[in-house]
Parts: sequence; structure tokens; C-alpha cells
Amino acid sequence: MRKSVLLVLTFIMLASIALAGCSSGSKDTKSSEGTKDSGTTDTQVTPEKKEDPVTLLWYTIGGPQKDQDKVLTEVNKYLQEKINVKLDMKVIDWGDYSQKMQVIAASGEPFDIAFTSSWAFNYVEGARKGYFLELDELLNQSGQGIKEVLNPAFLEGSKVNGHNYAIPTNKELPAQAVWRFNKNLVDKYKLDITQATTLESLAPMLKAVKEGEPDVYPIPSNIGMFLPFDFALEGIPVGVPMNTTDFKMVNIWESAEAKEVFKTMREYYQAGYLPPDVATKQGNDFEKTGKWLVDKQHTVPFADIQWTDSMKYPIVSTPMHEPLVFNWSVTGSMQAISSKTKYPKQAMEFLNLLNTDKHLRNLINNGIEGVHYKRLTEDTYEPIPDSGYSMPSFTLGNMFLLDKLKADPADKWEQYKKFNDSAKNAPLLGFQFDPTNVMTEIANVKNAVDEFGPSFNTGSVDPEKMLPKAIEKLKAQGIDKIIAEAQKQLDAWRASK
Amino acid sequence: MAHLGIGLFSLACVYPFLFVVVLSFTDEQSLAKNGYKIIPEQWSVDAYTYLFKTGDQLLRSYGVTLFITVVGTLLTLVIVSLYAYAISRSYFHFRGFFSFIAFFTMLFGGGLVPSYIVVTQVLHLKDTMWALILPMCVSAFSILIMRTFFKTMVPDAIIESGKIDGAGEFRVFLYLVLPISLPGLATIGLFAALGYWNDWFNALLYIDDARLLPLQSLLMKVETNIQFILQNAGVGGAVDRTDMVRTLPAETTRMAMVVLATVPIIFAYPFFQRYFVQGLTIGAVKE
Repeated sequence: MRKSVLLVLTFIMLASIALAGCSSGSKDTKSSEGTKDSGTTDTQVTPEKKEDPVTLLWYTIGGPQKDQDKVLTEVNKYLQEKINVKLDMKVIDWGDYSQKMQVIAASGEPFDIAFTSSWAFNYVEGARKGYFLELDELLNQSGQGIKEVLNPAFLEGSKVNGHNYAIPTNKELPAQAVWRFNKNLVDKYKLDITQATTLESLAPMLKAVKEGEPDVYPIPSNIGMFLPFDFALEGIPVGVPMNTTDFKMVNIWESAEAKEVFKTMREYYQAGYLPPDVATKQGNDFEKTGKWLVDKQHTVPFADIQWTDSMKYPIVSTPMHEPLVFNWSVTGSMQAISSKTKYPKQAMEFLNLLNTDKHLRNLINNGIEGVHYKRLTEDTYEPIPDSGYSMPSFTLGNMFLLDKLKADPADKWEQYKKFNDSAKNAPLLGFQFDPTNVMTEIANVKNAVDEFGPSFNTGSVDPEKMLPKAIEKLKAQGIDKIIAEAQKQLDAWRASK
Repeated sequence: MAHLGIGLFSLACVYPFLFVVVLSFTDEQSLAKNGYKIIPEQWSVDAYTYLFKTGDQLLRSYGVTLFITVVGTLLTLVIVSLYAYAISRSYFHFRGFFSFIAFFTMLFGGGLVPSYIVVTQVLHLKDTMWALILPMCVSAFSILIMRTFFKTMVPDAIIESGKIDGAGEFRVFLYLVLPISLPGLATIGLFAALGYWNDWFNALLYIDDARLLPLQSLLMKVETNIQFILQNAGVGGAVDRTDMVRTLPAETTRMAMVVLATVPIIFAYPFFQRYFVQGLTIGAVKE
């Protein structure tokens, strides 16, 4: 009798664990809706004025730093003097950031400023859920400096429903995919890398290297080939062609371009240009061993120098396409102000200073002179290794204010500006797809894409046979419904412009 | 024949861990060159020297984990055994009610965000050691095991004998019931200790201060960071990735961390095992 009771209890407990998993998900969204309502009213709260400095709680991404308190003391001295504000900065690890911030924001726990982006603590989603304060007016009042230094495309491209909810970091604006070459092998086989424009054009180079070095796989990893489409949502093959005129959403896997790429990849895979287990392989060990010829990366000005520096052997690259401004490249790194903050004005003043004040920006980025870095000339420095303070510079604010490393070219930031100005807009720039109505379909299609995608991208399976099957599966999971929904939103967005 | 089978099976169990140990003693360069090998080309203790030289975080985390495991397990034992003893006594009037309260939490949990709100905004435990201890220190499952244990293994006659000699409830519990309940206590103690030792999620939610990070959470961070950076390669421009990777430990160092994090808890098993089987079969046979 008792045994059966225990058994039943055990089963109930297991079931409850499973159920708890589901229920936490749904509660998540519910409570976040709650914050939306209260969030809008909070904007009217008038901040206390002067006298005691207010302390701003700032969450940002990166590895926590040993000497953070030391640097913060310095920062606070400076900030108190300038705008009568103190800073409490919490740096959360790369991998934890999204989850932690989701919970903090959904539970309504107070914070003032937080890092947000297209790839960690999703910006568009956060703005829609009402976690972030709408900044249009604040920007005009206390953020004039930001408006001056930022390329206008940043603020324009990061609008959600026509409003700004975060301050983008001034850095490279467009994205540009390049073929990245191991120069040792390029020189050895006298390859002309300027010939490398398309995937097909790599064929003679791959062949030469494979014949000369049988134990080298010239393409070392899943490079996720660049397709000339602007995706409506990351990870789902739905989008419009780059050169679109009629703005018609298509299933990208059905396009001739994708078919061609999969076919070429298959040929390369069969010729032994890729490692046999490439579809499931992870990591970048090849960078350490140097046994590779070419892969795909996104570039910025002087990227070759930096790659060479970190890999300890020469790297060169050639662009695959012109620099293009995508939604995800504009929202690659931003700082948002919480809709629950009591000090919206101070928070904006701080962000304004962070993006315009050279001393503050470098202090937060590089630490204290003599302790964490050595000054070389007026605007170059050398970090002291293992000094206990070194922040990822692209996450914090205006990069163009930063001092340069010794190896950096003198006109580094001018080149960045030139790079930004040379960029063209991708067709969907400013259009933020709202997935609410097709959540289930998106999850299902994503699963199917994860199942087939790596195999096609690496040529591990024959696209002639498998691609029709994969497309059929995508259809069965509801990709057409996603396309229809995206088309509807896109039409509405274009009509409103 | 049976020995051979069991031998092979245990080998299959031990092998992965052995592999990790070997990898942690492999030279970083030869690992990159040859991949994972059970007999590496070049042995090295670099990973460990590196960890002990720069790893004051690791030692700190060791301390935190040890502290929460010991304190948490003791606290769990005290609370659970007191609760379970009370609801195991047939003369306790509200035993049905309190059993139900404990049982109810097994069926329905509060969910992630509400729990978070309670811990951070009602109890104000964020960034304290208690946030790692209190959320886990009452387990309804353990209470039910202990209740069954007290009911079946502690004869009423013993308790009555104590009462006849003039002992109160506490004295009976401390001097008569607890000493003969060791197997039960050891069982739930082991569950609790494992739970505390392996817990990383509470730290993920409630701990921002690196000085309070437990060991498993530290390991988890390293692992998720690596996953994240690989998956998001080139998100903010390619060069940024070198910025990210710079902060990560090397492969062999990670293996060494796994070894250091696993070894101590292995020693907890033989210590508890004596009682373990006995404890788990409680209530399996009825008289």
C-alpha cells in the first residue's frame, strides 16, 4: 500500500516538475505585460534635483572585473563633479546576461540603465514588452551630444514602432562579409585572392591547397554562406532579396541563390575541402593550428591587422559585398534606460557624457592610468597584462572617443567614419518584424532549420535529394504562414512611411 | 562472465571522467594539434599551475560551495526532520493540514518570475549567501520520505517508553527518535548535499557579486560563455569576438576546473553509502 503511495507521489512530483517548467514560461509573459502598464506612467515622475548625488544602477555585459570597485571610485569622483551622479555598475557574464536581464526586467526589479542588443537581452523584444523608456524627448532635452556624434542612421535604424528606446553605440554601422585567408598558404601557393568574390570563384584556390597539403581542410568550419537576402527574423529563411523593388517576402531556401550555394558546398565537401564532421563541429581550433585556408567573417576597418595580431600569423581578406546597414548591425550594441527608473534625466545625462566625454569613456574602458594601462602618447596607450581591468570596448559607448593601441593606425576612427558613410541600407532597415502572431510556427520552423541548415551549409548532404524534403518540412511547420504575416507587416510598414 | 559484464559497465562509467582528467594534464598546443587523445603527445601540468596562480576566484568559489553545502545540509536536516516528525505523529491534530501544505508545493510551483520577486523584493536576499541556501532548504519530497520513515521505522512503543519516563516531545525526538533514524537522515542529507553542491541556477539568478559565486556556477559560466561566443561569432563585428575570447580560459584549464569541482563530492558517496540503500528502501515492505 505504502509503496504504491510513494510511487504515485514520485510520478506526481515528476509531472509537477514538467508542469512547473511550462507555467514559469507563461507567467513570464503575463507579468511582463503588467510592467508595460505601469511603465508608461513612470515617465511622469519628476526626478529629485541636485544636492545628494543619485546613484544609477547600470547592468552591462562582459566578464566581471577584479578591479571594478577601484575604477568605479575614480569614475564616481569624476561624475559627481560633472553631473552630480554616482554609478553602480554590474557586469554580467556573456552567457548569463540574457536570462538574468529577462528575469530582472520581468520581475520589475529596479535598474536604471542596461545593455541591450540584437544578440543579447533582445532590444526589439524588450522595447515591445515595455522594459525600456521611450527616449525621443529625453534625447532632445539631455542627449543633444549623442545626437551630434552618432551617425543619424543609428537612431533611425533602431526605432521600434517609430520611437527610440535605446542609445546605440557609435561604432561600425554596416556589416560586410569577407573571405578571410590564411596568408601563409596564400603566399605558398601564389593565390590571387582578389579573384575571390563568390563561393564558386574559390574553387581553383581550394583545389591547389588541397593537392599541395592533403592533411589541410581548406574550409575549416561551417562558414554559413552569405546569401543576398535581408532576413525578416534571424534564423528563419524568410526575407526579401537585397536588390528588391517589390518588397515581396520569399522562402529563401527555395531561391535559386540558396540552391546554387548548397550545390557548390556539396561539391566542395565531396572533394574533401571541408572536414567530414564539419556540420556538427564547434570551436575555432583551426585558428591555433593554422591548418586552414579560408573562412567567412564580418569585417571592420583594419580587421586584418587585429586578426593577424590575435592569431600570430598573417591574415588577409577580400569583401564579398558592399557594406550594408542591417537592423541587426545597427542594434548590435546599445544602452537602454529602464521604464522603471526614478532618474530618467540623470540616466540620459550620464549616457550623454559617456558618449561625448573622452576622459570618462577611456576611464570606464581602460581603467586607471599607471595601474591598468600605460600612456604612450596623447591618444595611444598600452594595457598592462593581467591588471584586473579590461572591458569589452564595443559594449559601452562611443568607440570613436577611445584611445588607440600602439599597433592601431593613426586614422583608425576616421576610417571607421568613412566605412560608415560608404554603407548602403539593406531593404528592411527600420522594419522590425513582430513575431507575436506566429510564435508557434516560428519555433517549429526554427527546429527544422536547425535540423537541416548545418548539413546544407556545409554540403554534408546532397541538396538534390534532401532540399525538396527540407522545404516540404518547412512548409508543414508553417513557414508560409510566417511569410504571409511578415508580408502583411511589411506592407503596413511601407504604407506608413 | 557476470564479473566481466559489470567490469565493462563500470569502465564505461569511469572512462569519460578519466578522459577529462587526462585532458586536464594535456599540453594545450598538442590538444589543438591532435584533438582529444586518451594518451596525449605531451603531458603538462600547466592548467593546474595556471589555476592555482590566477585562480583566487576558484578557491573562493570552493569556499562558498563548501559553506553552503555544509550549512545548507544541516539546515535542511533540522527543518525537514522536525517537520516530518510532527506530521508523522498520529496525535498531532493538524497533521493532515501540514502534510497537505508540503505536498501542495510538489504539485504547483510559483514559477520563475514570482519566485524571483519573493526572493529579491520581499526577502531581500539578492547578493547574499542566504539566497543560495534558503530557496533549497525545504524539500517536500524529503519531508514525505522522512514522514514515512518515522511512521514505519520508529515503533510507537519506544516513544511511549520515553513519555512514561517523563520525557517531553523534544527530548523524545532528540534522544530516542533521531539516533535510530540515522539511515533516513543520511539519505535526505545526501540528497541535500548533492543538491547544494551541484546548484548553479540560484546563483545565476541571485548572485551578481563574484565573491559569492559557488563552484558549479563558475563552471557553468565558463561553459555558457564559450557556447555563447561561438554561437554569436561576429555579432558585433568580427573583431569584437577577439575581445570576448580574450576573457576565456583555455581548453585544458576548463578540464582542470571540472576535475577540481568534481573530486570532493565523489568522496561524499562512500561516506553516505552505508546508509543509502537502507534509507531508500524504507516503506518498500509492509508488515
